[in-house]
Amino acid sequence: MVTEMNYEVVHTTEYVYDGMISLCHNIARLIPRSTTNQFCKKTNVRIDPQPDVMNEYIDFFGNKVLYFAIQQEHKKLTVTVSSVISKDNTAPKTNYYQGMSWEEAKKMLSEQRPEYLDAKQYIPETPMTESSPEINAYILQSFTPGRPLFDAAFDLMHRIYKDFEFKANFTTIATPVTTVMHQRKGVCQDFAHVAISCLRSLGLAARYVSGYIETLPLPGKEKLVGMDASHAWFSVFIPQIGWVDFDPTNNQVPSDQHITIGWGRDYADIAPLKGVILSSGKHKLNVFVDVKRMS
Amino acid sequence: MTPDTEQKSLFQHYFSDHYSYDELQGDDGNLRPHWKTFFQSFADLGKEEILNRNQDVLRFLKENGVTYNIYGDPAGQNRPWNLDLIPFLISKQEWQTIESGLKQRAELFNHILKDIYGERRLIKNGLLPMDLVFQHSGFLRQCAGITLPGKRNLVVYSADMARSSDGKIWILNDRTQAPSGSGYALENRMAMARMLPELFDGFKVRRLSSYFNSLRNALVNMSPVQKHDPRIVILTPGSENETYFEHSYLSSYLGFILAQGDDLMVKDNFVFLKTISGLEKVDVILRRVDDIFCDPLELLEKSQLGVPGLLQAVRSGNVSIANPLGSSILENPGFMPFLQGMSKYFMGEELIMPSIASWWCGQPKELSYVLENLETLVIKRIYRDSRGHTSKDGTALSKNELTELRAAIKAHPHLYVGQEKVSISSTPSLINGKIETRKGIFRSFAVASEDGYNVMTGGLTRTSADAGNFLVSNQLGGISKDTWIISQESGNNFSARKEIVPTSAAPLVANSGIITSHIAENLFWVGRYAERVLGNARFQRTVMQFISEGDRRMADNDGITEQILLEALTKCSYTFPGFAGKDGKTKQQQPIKELREILFDPIRIGSLHYNFRLFKNAVYAVRDHWSTDTWRVLREMEESFSLADAVTSSSNRMVKALDTIITSIMAFVSLNRESISRDQGWTLLDAGRKTEQSLLLANMLLNTLVIKKDEQVEYNLMEAVLKSHECLVTYRYKYRAHLQLSLVLDLMLLDVNNPRSLIYQLDRLKAYLSQLPKITPENVLAEHERLILEAHTFLRLSSKDSLSMPDMQTGRYEQLNAFLEKMQTLLYSVQAVVSKNYFKHAQSQKQLFTLDSI
Repeated sequence: MVTEMNYEVVHTTEYVYDGMISLCHNIARLIPRSTTNQFCKKTNVRIDPQPDVMNEYIDFFGNKVLYFAIQQEHKKLTVTVSSVISKDNTAPKTNYYQGMSWEEAKKMLSEQRPEYLDAKQYIPETPMTESSPEINAYILQSFTPGRPLFDAAFDLMHRIYKDFEFKANFTTIATPVTTVMHQRKGVCQDFAHVAISCLRSLGLAARYVSGYIETLPLPGKEKLVGMDASHAWFSVFIPQIGWVDFDPTNNQVPSDQHITIGWGRDYADIAPLKGVILSSGKHKLNVFVDVKRMS
Repeated sequence: MTPDTEQKSLFQHYFSDHYSYDELQGDDGNLRPHWKTFFQSFADLGKEEILNRNQDVLRFLKENGVTYNIYGDPAGQNRPWNLDLIPFLISKQEWQTIESGLKQRAELFNHILKDIYGERRLIKNGLLPMDLVFQHSGFLRQCAGITLPGKRNLVVYSADMARSSDGKIWILNDRTQAPSGSGYALENRMAMARMLPELFDGFKVRRLSSYFNSLRNALVNMSPVQKHDPRIVILTPGSENETYFEHSYLSSYLGFILAQGDDLMVKDNFVFLKTISGLEKVDVILRRVDDIFCDPLELLEKSQLGVPGLLQAVRSGNVSIANPLGSSILENPGFMPFLQGMSKYFMGEELIMPSIASWWCGQPKELSYVLENLETLVIKRIYRDSRGHTSKDGTALSKNELTELRAAIKAHPHLYVGQEKVSISSTPSLINGKIETRKGIFRSFAVASEDGYNVMTGGLTRTSADAGNFLVSNQLGGISKDTWIISQESGNNFSARKEIVPTSAAPLVANSGIITSHIAENLFWVGRYAERVLGNARFQRTVMQFISEGDRRMADNDGITEQILLEALTKCSYTFPGFAGKDGKTKQQQPIKELREILFDPIRIGSLHYNFRLFKNAVYAVRDHWSTDTWRVLREMEESFSLADAVTSSSNRMVKALDTIITSIMAFVSLNRESISRDQGWTLLDAGRKTEQSLLLANMLLNTLVIKKDEQVEYNLMEAVLKSHECLVTYRYKYRAHLQLSLVLDLMLLDVNNPRSLIYQLDRLKAYLSQLPKITPENVLAEHERLILEAHTFLRLSSKDSLSMPDMQTGRYEQLNAFLEKMQTLLYSVQAVVSKNYFKHAQSQKQLFTLDSI
């Protein structure tokens, strides 16, 4: 039986500017961190033009951050991050369904326990995960009294998958979660934010996970390189068990095919790439992602 | 009157408020000793003299340009600072407690700050609830792990205090973000010491200046690289900020450069100041910008006030910021109930100064207490929401408001704190010549040193706008007071003269002539706007004189001249449509209304008042460059605009206003020719003037003399042009002839000895531009040098005779027209190139968003 699966992820981001840019500052959160069931064997970052400054450090949430600045004139910026990740699926499967009720979990989290301090920072809502009466009503359909937390969260994931339409370019990262909730359309980031808002409105700890998913070609077709994309899902803290991931876009509990980059309270904490340039012109953005299984 | 009756008459309105502790009287009903001494000197001055001095003080503050900006009020920009002649007195014994209390509290907040951004033991050990930190908008996760060189991370601490009805001094608020007020405190003291030295008689008042020395030392010592003279800048949000006066004042007083976010840039993990001579490395930043605005890369993305990449420079240890980014977490009323415990934890001490009884609603028992007693408490949020008020006075809320507030607290209990409503004691204030009671709070400051904190021996007292008012706020129109710490020790005598330390004339440290690109741009525009106001005022005056002298009904020619002049006035001042528009002819029949508008209307683009406002804004933006006299001149101009009635002023009145404006602008220019010591500063200002003068002249000639007219009309127009440039006398003296176009052009374009001629302006402009720092290799002309040389040569090669040759077919002076148009184009290009090369980057910063999704 295969206990270790290796993936190679290549993620290329390309900015093409209208005019010459003489200075840009960027922050990338594109280097996968190691987790309980994934190990980042190596990462290679290629940036063109060659940055004048590069600082690598770990952020407040333990994610790997790369800051770089280009101080010479350029019209195009390309950032390519290639990582080799091994996924370990030997960890014993827990029977989540037997876990504690969500009310019990909430009560434990509200107690002053040092072991939950880290998880507790993911309870309060953030500007990107505001709640609304609609969100409160939506979550209560899954979180019925006494229901085990895992079971209820699984149901929430399933309902989002069922109730929300995946529609690219319908939302932007600035679309409020309450609007997404109302329109029931969006992309993976939106679905993760909806779920997180729901869980936080009940006083539970939920975090936003940024990463990739391996997509399989349709039967008989060859897999196209570069057609994958970055992905996002949510994670719920279950006392005595730990963080459990849920992918509402694909209606599954992530295991072998999901590769984590890192996490935060919402997208803003773990945005893959952001930057500031001095320019009054426009820019075009292209992203290519390839997740490849290595034999 | 004897001093006794003098005192009585001053106090007749006073003794009415017995609800709270009275600063003035002891329990026995007698004046407290220090107040007795004070009011003796006060009464000795006599009532009339006091009122005179009051005027003197207000004038002193006005003339020093001491202002405070009120948000959201167009008239609130640059509101004059208001100072009460009666200071707030604190006895030596009482001060000893306050001073040690503030030192201790600053030390405690320093420990808390280091812990929150370090190990967070307070939270782990249960001394501080996690929610109070993690849910506070001032907790910047990006700043975790960053420390400053030296023992103390909290560099400046400030507290608002008040005396309650039991006579005790309480701490109301802690200020740790970028505390304001120290500069106003100093300016208040200067005004008092200069204008009312007698009041200090019989007192030994502690001086303020040592605080500023400590501040300097603290900033020098926190430099990442230990050097003798680190580069320190004050980071300001700009002249719109409510306390911009103070930023600029401290910059002059301390000798640090005042910079806005876009004056700075991050390169190679270092912070640099953009100056017109290149980049200068910055070691230390004293910030007056709120922390989340400081770095659009990692903090608030939409901020235009910060420096992209600043946090990287901080993390790399290449720049130190006071107070450090993230210190606003300490401005948190929710901390109040936990301070005692934290003080014992870190220092093993009880707190010396009491803080107001507070209940944080994040705990169940406290929450229910607050909800039950809502109508007796003051409710505060743990952090300020976007500009909203932070506190609500439960005793003043209606039933509905209480219900709303109750619901808001229940929805987010951890964001609210209930506080006891302190009854603030009354303090005497001089209001409209009478002594009345006001509620007073005062703010003092502490600054870190190697072995503790040094506290300012004094501070800024502010009083409520009216007697019963509990809220004390500058935004609500309060009044400030000097704060005197009365020392009994001999040898520490206050000398009013010693406090008057040199300000803008001689900063403590030389700024070594550094001019940021931003300042350069503003100086250039001060010059341009000054000339624009002057040139347009002169032209309008000439036109109005012509109208009042001429008689349209009698002489056709005068009617035609008048029409051309009015149209030219519209075109030269860019106040379209005006006399040149569709119904221009109608307006020309009754020109007074339109003339009044383009003179006094403050919002009409191109009007004199409008240009004056632009001029004033540019002057304020570089306010530390001006002498005291300049402020007086500026104030006079302001008054002549504000006194003028934009609806009914007679033409006589208008000409008078124009006279004042013209004289004032001339005074402004000559005052600053003498007082701007920094060479490059004057170069830039004068370059702006010469550019504007050249453009105005070319434009006026284009709009008056290009079309061939009847001889008498041409004569009138030439006379008007000469008059507008104060050149009529020169012409007569020089040529001793009837006005002729070729000679007028000779005088106005080519005469190198005429200070109003175009060649005179271009000579100067060419020289100034060559003095700007070189941006090209030696022997290579920069683009602006090439352009000005071209304009200069083009002018020198022109001839007065061919320019004044009419084209009989078109009925125009075609050569003159072509010449002037080309000259305008060249001059506009010069100005555009100078802006691009030396002023702020025209490009603005922009976020790159990633929108990748499945």
